[in-house]
Amino acid sequence: MWRGQRSRTVVIGVVFAAFLVCCVLPIAYLVVTTLAEGSGAYAALVLDSRQRGLLFNTAFLGIGTALLTTAIGAPLGIALARVPVRRKAVIRLIAAAPALLPPYVVALAWIYLGSSGGLLAALTGQDLFSEWTYSLPAAIFILSLVLYPLPMLATEVAMRRIDGRLEEAALIVAPPHRVLWRITLPLAAPTIVAAALIVFVLAVSEFGVPGLLRVRVYTTEVFTAFAALYDFARAIALAVPLLLASVAVAAAAAALLGDRLVASRRSIGVSPVVFGGWRRPAEVAILLVAATAVALPILILGREALAARSLGAVVTGSVNAIVSSLLLSAVGATLVVAVALWLGYVQARAGRAFRRGFQVVLVALFAVPSTIVGVGLIGLWNRAGPLGALYGTDLMFVLGYLARFVPVAALILAATAQTVSVSQEEAAAVSGTGWLRTIRGIVLPQMRLGIAAAWVIAFVLAFGELGVSILVAPPGEATLPIRIYTIIANTPASHVAALALLQSLVIFTTIAALGAAASVREAK
Amino acid sequence: MNAAAITLADVTKRFESHVALDRVSFEVAAGSAAVILGPSGCGKTTLLRIISGLEVPDTGHVLLNETTVSDAGRTIVPPHQRRLGFVFQDLALWPHLTVRENLDFVLGSMRLSRGDRSRRAQEALALVRIEQFSARYPHQLSGGEQQRVALARAIVGEPRVLLLDEPLSSLDPELRAELRSELVRLQEALHLTMVYVTHDRDDAAVLAHRVVEMRAGRILAIHGEQNRRQEQA
Repeated sequence: MWRGQRSRTVVIGVVFAAFLVCCVLPIAYLVVTTLAEGSGAYAALVLDSRQRGLLFNTAFLGIGTALLTTAIGAPLGIALARVPVRRKAVIRLIAAAPALLPPYVVALAWIYLGSSGGLLAALTGQDLFSEWTYSLPAAIFILSLVLYPLPMLATEVAMRRIDGRLEEAALIVAPPHRVLWRITLPLAAPTIVAAALIVFVLAVSEFGVPGLLRVRVYTTEVFTAFAALYDFARAIALAVPLLLASVAVAAAAAALLGDRLVASRRSIGVSPVVFGGWRRPAEVAILLVAATAVALPILILGREALAARSLGAVVTGSVNAIVSSLLLSAVGATLVVAVALWLGYVQARAGRAFRRGFQVVLVALFAVPSTIVGVGLIGLWNRAGPLGALYGTDLMFVLGYLARFVPVAALILAATAQTVSVSQEEAAAVSGTGWLRTIRGIVLPQMRLGIAAAWVIAFVLAFGELGVSILVAPPGEATLPIRIYTIIANTPASHVAALALLQSLVIFTTIAALGAAASVREAK
Repeated sequence: MNAAAITLADVTKRFESHVALDRVSFEVAAGSAAVILGPSGCGKTTLLRIISGLEVPDTGHVLLNETTVSDAGRTIVPPHQRRLGFVFQDLALWPHLTVRENLDFVLGSMRLSRGDRSRRAQEALALVRIEQFSARYPHQLSGGEQQRVALARAIVGEPRVLLLDEPLSSLDPELRAELRSELVRLQEALHLTMVYVTHDRDDAAVLAHRVVEMRAGRILAIHGEQNRRQEQA
């Protein structure tokens, strides 16, 4: 349709070049460096019992979190899809809210609850929970509270996309519970399994929670090797096995999802099976889980923060980190969307083979653990000459945000672009309108809400980003997450809690603004 | 005339402001075939869905074998306890199950021994002449073969009533004629009470003992006992 259009070639070419430099090159650098060094570095790692412990902890964290999030999230997703709960949109938003909180903020709250100086110890007069608080099962529990919205939403979407007639055909001959087990769930299973795989990858990629709970996993070890021991070679050697495992599992998940990942519309307009009698229990269960995952941590942080002598002084003392975080996240989110918009457009308009392959690449890149992205960025940009000019500046934060969040924003925007029919562009093309003008006048206006959603999600993720930021931060510069993470050891808990609370407040305000915009649009 | 296997009395169904069925009443005698004939949107499918229990009438009631199964605004007997077979317009074969497993799902809801289940599945497949496809998945079959699977699935539970919602509409004329004859043979062999929804007068002429003509949610006319036309070779 647009064959021979120079503007299209230039725009897509520039964006793909930016994508390669920002997202692919840091990872490729790590892999190439490791291959160049040979297998010597790995021999010690494989035989080292310390490393075997790391492997066990990392695998246990990933598998445990994937299983627990699915156990929590899938029933809630079924409830959202099949039980006529009241105010479903609001309940869904509340239930999904934990995914927006940085995991280490939730971990902090649970530390204030269960540690030897925590709320439970104060209430019972005994230190019953501190051993459990700093443990691998606690890390699994906390990550599950943060990540359960992923299987929940995946299950809901998968069940909504099932052709209602398949269930009706079964209802003619079987009771609803049997239809759910034998027809509905097996049809939704690939999506639920894919969500569990993605949770596995996100859990083994997580740095903040195991770091705070003193659980040794690969990500914390990479950070220690680089930031504490200044052993770059060891950091890389540790990073590559985790990188390969994450990418492989994420690619499997993307392949399992197929076109479902970016197809957002229900294909058949037949009412699904509903379980009307379960409304009250479903509402209670969803709100109970959301209260445990969001309200309880916020209340604990609030209680802790109130102990501070002057909340104003706490904020003033961190004002540079707060302002810097807000600015960098806003700039980062804008650039992320600027690149992801075109990648999403290409993903939505490409042929099936490219679409499938590129989707695997995007999911795999999103799954790369943050500390590994950080090590890759340092290796790539920390050098003499013009390339090194960026290193040591705040732009490294932005590069980190681009490397981590362009893939997920591209997937969101691909789903949005797919809702704009190709025939609309074809109609513009045959009437003689140029590609850029068609995009500006026809496609982008219809993608506005999706673009806003992608920006908000990128902003929220960037605002809570810790793993890359803590590695690439220039001397003397800190974002809010870095400030929180680094002052934990030597600052009163009330100060740390106040900052974590402030961070949560910014995130929820941004999301509320998006929710309000969506409501206004829906009302129109 | 046999006793009524299906009775609809004064059934009305609204979807918001749209009246899909307006005080519809008719009976289908046990072992006979009724064809509901009418254009798209006249309420034919809604009628079948109300008989099956997938929809509840707003007013009026539905009886199967003289037992009330639906009453105004409520379901008395749920769909799976009505002993029905239903062939959907788009067939709705379960894509993750093989042909045999599609039938097994139906039989699994009945208290049958493994041997009985196997025998009944084999018999149903043989009746519609697709025994050789039992291990295949629906997407591995042609359109006509899929129609036969849908039919086998609908009869394997030995239903009292067979409901068919324009199951042949997407087929070419030759295959359509062949399957129509097949349906007549099955209906007679199994003494099934059958309700067949269509907008095609040829379907009605070949399949119906009784034709119920519908327009805009209302019954226009009921053409009483009639001889079926022989399908032309």
